[in-house]
Amino acid sequence: MLLELHNIFKWVTQGGKRIFLLSDINLQVEEGEFISIMGPSGSGKSTLLNVIGMLDGFQEGEYNFLGESVHAMKEKNRSKLYKEYIGFVFQAYHLIDELTVYENIETPLLYKNIKSSERKALVADMLDRFNIVGKKDLFPSQLSGGQQQLVGVARALIAKPKLILADEPTGNLNSKQSEEIMQLFKELNQEGVTIIQATHSETNAAYGSRVLHLLDGRRDHK
Amino acid sequence: MIRNYFKIALRNLWKDRTFTALNVIGLTAAFGVAFLLSMYALFELSFDQFHKNVDSIYQVYTTEQIPKGVELSEANPIPFAGALRDEVPGVHKITRYVTGGPLITYKDKTLRVGSAWADPEFFEIFSFPVLEGNTNNPIERSTVALTEDTAKLIFGNENPIGKLISIKRDGEVVPVTVAAILKNLPEASSLRFGAIFNFMDLPNSFYKDKKDRWDAHNHPVYMQLAAGTSIESFEKATRPFSTLHFADEIATAKRDGAKPNAEGQFRQIHLLPFGNVSFTNFDTAELIVNKSLQYVILGIALLILFIASVNFINMSIAKGAQRLREIGMRKTLGAGKAQLFFQFWGESVLVFVISVALGALLSFSMLDMFQTLFRTNASFGLIVSPVLIFGAVVSLLLITFIAGGYPAVLMSKLGTLKALKGKLEVSGRNRVRNVLIVVQFGIAILLISGTLVLRGQLDYMRNKDLGFNKEQVIAFPLSSKKDHAQLMQLMRDELSGHPNIISMSASDNILGLGRDGSSSTSVMGFDYKGREVSTNLLFVDYDYPETLDITLVKGRSFDRRYASDSLSIVINESMAREFGEKDPLSIRFTLDDSIQYAVIGVVKDFNFQTMDKSIEPISFFMNSDKPLYQAYVKVAPGNLTQSYDIVKTAWNKIEPDAEFLGSFLDENIDRTLQKERMMTTMISSASILAILLSCIGLFAISLLVVSQRQKEIGIRKVVGASVSTITILLTKDFLKLVGIAFLITTPVAWYTTSQWLQNYVYRMDLTIWVFLAAGAIALVIAVLTISFRTIQAALKNPVESLKTE
Ligand SMILES: Nc1ncnc2c1ncn2[C@@H]1O[C@H](COP(=O)(O)OP(=O)(O)OP(=O)(O)O)[C@@H](O)[C@H]1O
Ligand SMILES: [Mg+2]
Repeated sequence: MLLELHNIFKWVTQGGKRIFLLSDINLQVEEGEFISIMGPSGSGKSTLLNVIGMLDGFQEGEYNFLGESVHAMKEKNRSKLYKEYIGFVFQAYHLIDELTVYENIETPLLYKNIKSSERKALVADMLDRFNIVGKKDLFPSQLSGGQQQLVGVARALIAKPKLILADEPTGNLNSKQSEEIMQLFKELNQEGVTIIQATHSETNAAYGSRVLHLLDGRRDHK
Repeated sequence: MIRNYFKIALRNLWKDRTFTALNVIGLTAAFGVAFLLSMYALFELSFDQFHKNVDSIYQVYTTEQIPKGVELSEANPIPFAGALRDEVPGVHKITRYVTGGPLITYKDKTLRVGSAWADPEFFEIFSFPVLEGNTNNPIERSTVALTEDTAKLIFGNENPIGKLISIKRDGEVVPVTVAAILKNLPEASSLRFGAIFNFMDLPNSFYKDKKDRWDAHNHPVYMQLAAGTSIESFEKATRPFSTLHFADEIATAKRDGAKPNAEGQFRQIHLLPFGNVSFTNFDTAELIVNKSLQYVILGIALLILFIASVNFINMSIAKGAQRLREIGMRKTLGAGKAQLFFQFWGESVLVFVISVALGALLSFSMLDMFQTLFRTNASFGLIVSPVLIFGAVVSLLLITFIAGGYPAVLMSKLGTLKALKGKLEVSGRNRVRNVLIVVQFGIAILLISGTLVLRGQLDYMRNKDLGFNKEQVIAFPLSSKKDHAQLMQLMRDELSGHPNIISMSASDNILGLGRDGSSSTSVMGFDYKGREVSTNLLFVDYDYPETLDITLVKGRSFDRRYASDSLSIVINESMAREFGEKDPLSIRFTLDDSIQYAVIGVVKDFNFQTMDKSIEPISFFMNSDKPLYQAYVKVAPGNLTQSYDIVKTAWNKIEPDAEFLGSFLDENIDRTLQKERMMTTMISSASILAILLSCIGLFAISLLVVSQRQKEIGIRKVVGASVSTITILLTKDFLKLVGIAFLITTPVAWYTTSQWLQNYVYRMDLTIWVFLAAGAIALVIAVLTISFRTIQAALKNPVESLKTE
């Protein structure tokens, strides 16, 4: 078991009233799964991914990750945990504009205090694998959207995470580029990486091993 | 990791070149000026600290109870020092000290050398190392010790040790042997001389004639306190000494109605720590050690650094808004708070390191200019010490830590999600920014008010009617080997009949401060109708009031037709009040037991002293035996330069060997205002810099605000807002801040400036207009600064600004 959500509730208080962003979410994810989260806009997909990714908290419920209780953890240990095991891929790429492709990919390794020689080898592998060796000295603004997202995925993978969280990874891409990224995800999944993606696209969702439907912050079991 | 940070830092700084440049320029200017100002203040504060014994050296001074209150005196009678050592326990070493400017002749060279006379223990108390010659006692009788520079001046490359020079003393030429060469005096020494003689080699009129007299006070005394003796116990132990030796003075004081002090004493000897001597004013009733000017200057340096740092903080925070995504991104990639903090702080450190380096360069390159402008010899080399360097490094680190650290803390504390979404609680940050801008402009307004008041007072003092004609009178010292009276007569003969020359006179003292930098006061007390009156003394030549246009209100001035005028005096109105007679012309009084003097005239009060004093009583004597050191020539109002040249030519003809040191009296008055002028220059420059820096900050903030509100501006224009409404919208928030700064600062500025003006008996009126003007200046400059960008933004085609979003 990779992670487990038990009766998760998340709300914000507005004008004295609770607005539920997530309510009573239960979810169990085994290692090696490829899950797609679907649902209309505003249904809570991003919110759920953020909770799983430990970027966001929740008010009620339990969250266990690799047997540790995330809800009872201090901020510091939590960030240690996600630094170690989770990689993020965002819709808007979120590359650091001031860094080159090479440096963007390298950054997570810097925060994990990995030795320079080892870093070089790891980044070189990654560049190779994604066929972007020739672009390594370019800045994000000099790349196409698809290439940027490729770099984003490469960066998410460099620290060898167990889990990749992808929030509409193809939202800004055309269908051909989308297909490439999804193909990549599939390969990664076959190599053993667990993937959870939020998506609007049935086609993309089909790459996954199971689909989770959300509606107004609840799982939709119909 | 560090390399990665460094790379990013450089790229970021480069990407925002405008802001980086604004920051670096502002901080460089601030550091440069702060370095110079603190160097100057620290130099002044380091005065006399170089003496190894500085903590145990004291100047001896006395407080005397007089009918009007208390008087301070640093002058002592000749037998005083020796008796003090013999009779009061606790004196380790003691020396008498007096300065003068004798003419020293060697071969055919004659020059005036600033000199001192002291007892041999002088060299054991103070640290003036002997380089060559008699190290044991460099000032035996009839010998002299010269500083390196003076020796060079007199002897060139000859070896001076053992050579004979001659000085004029008591009308005779006396040979003196050069016994030692002293290391040049440190710049930070308040004791200054080029040559130093044995105290007993002073002229007879100064030393021998007064050797046993306790009533002639003519020199300061310095001593070293024995280890284990406290100042209080020593001062207490001197009471019987004072009672014994100054019995006559004490009796007179008692008779005239003086009240004893809290300890029941009429005279009390005190010790002033020598390190405080250069900050002390003995002209007041209470001893005041005043280091405030130095601390004000240090304070200004800090204020300027503060303003520049505020700019840096405000720009960093505002720019942080544009880096939110980067912050969020890094957090999801595993960056901890500490790592983010160090990244942002590192960028700040980089900016500061560059600015400090450039600022240091700037201050070094401006040093010459600074020294000339502020007439100081202060330089960095004079004040360096391990402690100082350590202190400077610590304070620079502290500034960097706070100014760079605060924005870094703000940014690293942001929540990951909020940062990613680019959300920012704007209100809190803006509050900090606004407070900082208010403080910044408050400081600027304070400094501008200070400048305006200082300038006003300076103008007031320059233009005030002093009661004598300062525009048309040339004064020059009669310094030459010739007899003064003879020289004066020759000048008279040479100049009389010249149409430009109206009248001539002389006196033994100068008005203002002459080009030779000399000035002195001479005060005398005597009994009149059973009580003591005191007056300033001035020995004058004929035509003194006439030459200086001092108005005669009663009686007559000295007249060549009356032979008895050598026993007549002319007094001023204050002196007439001091006598307290209805008809001042009836006043007769006796001096020196037998000689009777008569008042023949009263002149209107005139400011013969500086304007921080009210006009004191003064009496003019005319005694042909008294040497008159200063000549005055009144010239015709037209062509003043030409008249000056006429007098100079006459002098050069009569006395070709001595330089003509004449100057118009208004220049002399100006010279006395040097401290005020220096303060004005310093505070004006500081306030200009402060307002410039504040404007750089405001400008940068306006750039950022405009760029952040570009979309809003575009939409408002599309909806129909005019250029002026948009400009006002963008400008008014900032102007509000300047307004608040004005309201807060004005009372502070009013209080400090009026407090400062209290130092002057004659002072300008302080009105609200000064402060309104200061506020208006700040406001106008602020408006101009902001409008530069806001108008540009308001004029921009809305389609363009909407497209960029
Ligand atoms: N801080 C907040 N305060 C109030 N409401 C919030 C807050 N954060 C999110 N929401 C609300 O929570 C709901 C879920 O948002 P979420 O971003 O998770 O939707 P989503 O499913 O990802 O939608 P989309 O497909 O458009 O990305 C939305 O209705 C949103 O308005
Ligand atoms: Mg979403």
